[in-house]
Amino acid sequence: MSYSILIVDDSLPMRSVIKRTLKTAGYGSAQFHEAGNGKEALAIMKNEWIDIVITDYNMPVMNGMELIKAIKGDELLKDIPIVVISTESNDVKIKEFVDLGAAGYITKPFTPETIRDLLINILGEVDYSEELDDSDDDFDF
Amino acid sequence: MKSLMTVMMTSISEVMETMFFLPVEFGEESKAINDRMKEYKPDMACQLKFSGDVSGKITLLIPESLLGEMAENFMGTPKEELTSEHISGTLMEILNMVCGNALGKAESKVPFELAIPEMIDESKIPGSLLFNIIQTPDSVMALNIGMD
Repeated sequence: MSYSILIVDDSLPMRSVIKRTLKTAGYGSAQFHEAGNGKEALAIMKNEWIDIVITDYNMPVMNGMELIKAIKGDELLKDIPIVVISTESNDVKIKEFVDLGAAGYITKPFTPETIRDLLINILGEVDYSEELDDSDDDFDF
Repeated sequence: MKSLMTVMMTSISEVMETMFFLPVEFGEESKAINDRMKEYKPDMACQLKFSGDVSGKITLLIPESLLGEMAENFMGTPKEELTSEHISGTLMEILNMVCGNALGKAESKVPFELAIPEMIDESKIPGSLLFNIIQTPDSVMALNIGMD
């Protein structure tokens, strides 16, 4: 199954890293959407089918916590799982995210395995036969 | 609360090795701008304010050449395709990850709040400000923790 994944982070490099990590972790055939803050994410979610949201916490305009509150308060969006990837490693803050309805929490720095294990837990096992993404590879024959 | 510089060193090692595959060693405290980093100029500088049990700001300097290599490794994008936004974004993300990781380890009574990292003009940093030198295999970085 090919997923539609929304990555929300104000850092362009971090969005690229998360996308690359997800491809490495077996989600190469997923359709990726990107947003620089919570407000942009909500705009995308109004127009696109999203299977899972992966969001940072510390962002300008609308942060990750405000985004979770907005999604959970929207009848059409509330069941979409949300994973927070953040530098915040404080237990109190993590509990706040979970209490708000986050399906998972990953602290930076992270490894591809950490993301893969959490996403498999939420979305189900990856079908690796569909995950061959060779769009970035150049082959000379 | 544990010493901020002690936890910061642990976090720098963790972030550099996990996300950038870059081993680091910690050197002496030095006047970064005037001494050790001079040969690696121009440096790029980033600052992040924090508040909690104690408040202050953390400044990180990385030579542009090293930062380019780090951005390349971090994003998996060839150097020639990297833009200035990629380079400065990588520096801001490094500081964000290091500070978030370190302040989480600092056993503070009040959870730390981090501001958004900001690029600053390296030439405006006072030459008298002391920085801790972080040695990489081919270059150096410098870190200062300033308390309010």
